[in-house]
Amino acid sequence: MLRLRVISTAAALVFSAACATSSTTFVEQTATPMIEVEVPKVAADLSAADPFAAYWNASRPASFALIAQPMLPPRPDHATTDDIQVQAIHDGTRVAFRLRWHDAEPSEAGRLGEHSDAVALQFPVVNDRLPPVTMGAAGMPVHIFHWRAQYQRDAERGKPEIKDLYPNASIDMYAMDFKEAASGSTEEREQFNPGVALGNPQSYKKSGVDELLAEGFATSAVQAGHGSVARGEWKDGFWTVVITRPLVIEGASTLRPGASTSVAWAVWQGGLHEVGSRKCVAMNWVPLKVQ
Amino acid sequence: MANVKNWQLGRDVAYQYPESRPKKQWAIVFDLNKCIACQTCTLACKTTWTSGKGQEYMLWNNVETKPWGGYPLAWDMRILEQLGRQDWDKNGAYLGKTVIEAADDKERVLHWAPRDEDWQYPNIGEDDCGGGTLDGGAHLRVLPHDKWFFYLPRTCAHCTYPACLAACPRKAIYKREEDGIVLIDQERCKGYGECVRACPYKKSMENPYTRTSEKCVGCYPAVEQGVQPQCVVNCIGKIRVMGFISPPWRARADNPVDFLVHEKGLALPYYPQLGLEPNIYYVPPIHADRQYLEQMFGPRVHEAIARYRELPKDPVAAGLLCLIGSTDRIIHRFDVKDGKASGYDEAGAELVTVPVSEPVIERPPWDARIGAIRNNTP
Repeated sequence: MLRLRVISTAAALVFSAACATSSTTFVEQTATPMIEVEVPKVAADLSAADPFAAYWNASRPASFALIAQPMLPPRPDHATTDDIQVQAIHDGTRVAFRLRWHDAEPSEAGRLGEHSDAVALQFPVVNDRLPPVTMGAAGMPVHIFHWRAQYQRDAERGKPEIKDLYPNASIDMYAMDFKEAASGSTEEREQFNPGVALGNPQSYKKSGVDELLAEGFATSAVQAGHGSVARGEWKDGFWTVVITRPLVIEGASTLRPGASTSVAWAVWQGGLHEVGSRKCVAMNWVPLKVQ
Repeated sequence: MANVKNWQLGRDVAYQYPESRPKKQWAIVFDLNKCIACQTCTLACKTTWTSGKGQEYMLWNNVETKPWGGYPLAWDMRILEQLGRQDWDKNGAYLGKTVIEAADDKERVLHWAPRDEDWQYPNIGEDDCGGGTLDGGAHLRVLPHDKWFFYLPRTCAHCTYPACLAACPRKAIYKREEDGIVLIDQERCKGYGECVRACPYKKSMENPYTRTSEKCVGCYPAVEQGVQPQCVVNCIGKIRVMGFISPPWRARADNPVDFLVHEKGLALPYYPQLGLEPNIYYVPPIHADRQYLEQMFGPRVHEAIARYRELPKDPVAAGLLCLIGSTDRIIHRFDVKDGKASGYDEAGAELVTVPVSEPVIERPPWDARIGAIRNNTP
């Protein structure tokens, strides 16, 4: 009897230890095909993006098939990313999406002819009148959060200079920027870098994720950010990227517990020179169930 | 996809957008018989436009040696071999496909994507001969030469049907109505590089610092002032002239570019079979291999060379060639009268007048007055 009690006590200890582990350690779960994304509420601070935080254990990963962008050439010859695994949680003020897809090797671009791995989340601006999933339409805008490995590099290591991209580059001088004898204001020197001089968001250091509004293909425009944060990590043949954003962004997309809304996504394989309209996308809007 | 008229191919071609010809079309004519690859044009462009970060490797104007040179590497071979047969019929109509027509339904333009190493050898093949090797010296006594090369200066061709413009999914590239210059909007461009892939002449280039694509701007600020581009006005060999070309049905014989291209058939577009109606025109080099030239300039090249060799008998053409390089202003109209050639601006004001032939004085080689041999060194 005593022996039995000892055994049962030991078993109870092992079980409770296992439970403790599951609540403090992240476990990668197997994704199952789904037709909607559940967004459970968790007691966690989602102001930072952490792809391997234990709070992700609270969300069952759903997998969704992707298709090669089918509408607008240039477009991929075939689906280069078969599916995407999606998890989502919210903390009452912010919502976080954990996106995971297979990619044999990471690509962060920078040099000529290189392109970056990327993922984007898309939300309707008006929830009860879904725009076309193909980046919306005139009068039916969509709100997009676009993460690129290249943008993350900017955020973590700074926007690369030519010497960072090409360490052996031999550069005599730039206009008004000759070594110690630099002359002219920053603004004057930037006149020689047209994208920068014109304020093109593409030419400036990125925070990791761009917020955009679009009303159809070719119309996407970078907006001032609303506190979205993203972070990705490539490991063992997979990218895992977390994008977090406020649940409610007035004037753009809003997610509210109990209210119906939808989400869609796109993935770019930079190593296969996917960029712009060369991407794999969700076939249709996916309902979001915010609890 | 629209059907548009391409006079260079003698037929309609497919294009992304309907035909919309500008009021005037920027064009440069180059006489390849005169180019010595001094690269003054290249440097004039470089110091004017591409001294910024990310532009280190860019040569919006470059001069390469044909047949072996190419910037980026083998740009012409790499698109031509994809394009398949490029035959012309007896009347000068093109029978093959253009880069737009040859693209499959998932692409807008048949293309290849340059990598960074492709841009790293702007002088590759310089002064290397075509026509096989020689063990020793040679005398090249007959035309065309069996050992040959020539220099090919290149800018953006500001095509009537630009592949870069057709390929841009963001519609960040536009062709100006007033002068036909093709520009990439540096505010809208997101650096997808579709124009870099699509331009068969490879004259769109990525800027890795600004993360946008950039290209030759045709020196539009100068053109707006009635002044020719930097690469033209700095050409020490006076081998090139910039002006405005009309389509053949609106050609004017007193327009310098129309005269050289349409009236005389002296200057030809390069690789017209790509189908974009490029607007840089070349007087073909008379010494180079004819098959090679036919591939580059189309079947009219033989006639162009014949016309070129008759130039000494043509006072109007000779007069125009004297005008080229004699003014930095854009010549809209010219005439040749009483042994003098004159150029006029758009309003009809005279820009310059030059003698068609300089006075020639022959003197005996011995100068008895000072007791010395004369020579021609100025």
